[in-house]
Amino acid sequence: MDRSALDEALLAAHAAGDLHGLILLYVRAAEMEGPGATFYLTHAYVFALEAADPQSAALRARLVAMGAERDESMRPAR
Amino acid sequence: MPDDLSRPLADVMAPIQRARGLPNAHYIDPMTIGRENRAVLETTWAALAVGADVPEPGDAKPIDFLGQPLLLLRDDEGAVRVYFNICRHRGMILVGSPRKIDGAIRCPYHSWCYSKDGRLVATPHVGGPGQNACDGIERARLGLSTVRSHVWRDVVFINLSGDAPPFEKVHADLLTRWAEFERPIFHGGHDSTFILDVATNWKLAVENYCESYHLPWVHPGLNSYSRLEDHYHIMEPGRFSGQGSYVYRQLQGADGETFPDFAGLSGFWDTGAEYVSLFPNLLLGVHRDHVYAIILEPVSHDRTREHVHIYYPTPDTDETLRAKNAKQWESVFLEDIFVVEGMQRGRAASGFDGGRFSPAMDGPTHLFHAWVASRVDAHGA
Repeated sequence: MDRSALDEALLAAHAAGDLHGLILLYVRAAEMEGPGATFYLTHAYVFALEAADPQSAALRARLVAMGAERDESMRPAR
Repeated sequence: MPDDLSRPLADVMAPIQRARGLPNAHYIDPMTIGRENRAVLETTWAALAVGADVPEPGDAKPIDFLGQPLLLLRDDEGAVRVYFNICRHRGMILVGSPRKIDGAIRCPYHSWCYSKDGRLVATPHVGGPGQNACDGIERARLGLSTVRSHVWRDVVFINLSGDAPPFEKVHADLLTRWAEFERPIFHGGHDSTFILDVATNWKLAVENYCESYHLPWVHPGLNSYSRLEDHYHIMEPGRFSGQGSYVYRQLQGADGETFPDFAGLSGFWDTGAEYVSLFPNLLLGVHRDHVYAIILEPVSHDRTREHVHIYYPTPDTDETLRAKNAKQWESVFLEDIFVVEGMQRGRAASGFDGGRFSPAMDGPTHLFHAWVASRVDAHGA
């Protein structure tokens, strides 16, 4: 999937409220982004929190490791 | 129309023999009612909803009460919580319509996320793109704003001001009076709830519910078995008032079947029933085989939504009988509508002086008037 196709897929997932699709696609966007990945990983993490997706803990750990989350008291939502 | 300052609320609080009812402004003037709301609905334990409105963990229901956006939510442990339905960031409404929340409550504006127990758990990009934390945004201090609440007999009460005495203390008298009914109750489900939209101030629904005086005229169907003399007043100043009946008859199905009884009731309840207006805005009824709660939602100064919920002693009552019971109660409550709407229209008459009370028959109604007047007076409203 190239960037253009990814953008289209993201728009479609947003329009459909497809949270699990959004998690997947934003993780993919982060992988394409390289150094700026925290922006898209943040989106993946937020939608994982909303969906109570088990990936939320791992996504959060990645963000903490990348310096994007520094609130150690934060716990994933139930 | 401003309150009539020439006739102070002392007239309302006077002994019933010479008391007058609340002035018209308390029914038709939004400004007077706004002040009254503070004294009567915001600083007390007001009924907001029932737990059955959010039956499963994660169920969320936005509710406007006195214009304030609230969120009724059942958390993952099964507890009912009430929050202000706003994000702590920009005050955006968090939940726009009833829905199931699987994980976090995500604000649709900037995606700040809250756990169901109210903690702020994510603040995306708050420190700039890809930086989700920053100085000055202390998540531990920015959880959802909680509305003080209490659940009793599945009714969710709120104290918006946050400073009312504890619910169990305020309503200790009724808790004691109905201690025999402190047993599990089961909402009858979709066929045991209905809403009546009524063009009246909510107080008139309370006042009508308090007294039995109107029964033979407004509910003539009762005359055949439940006469006026079969009723008695219930009056607990400052707390609740209502009426009781000595002649409750169980509803029967086509083959004579009845609902099961609540366990352990004393003999009084074989034919006894009680109907109480719990101040400010909850109407209750208890019988040997079912109870109900009517939450009076004060939509505006002249409009009230009555939310009726019927409960049974067991979760598996007969569906046909349940529907028959709900229909019967609905027909009774519908008979009251022309009265409460008529009194509301009557309050537009400038010549009305609040009216007089029958010392013999209107004690419970006067008790409610006096309670409203005393609270308004105490709040300097």
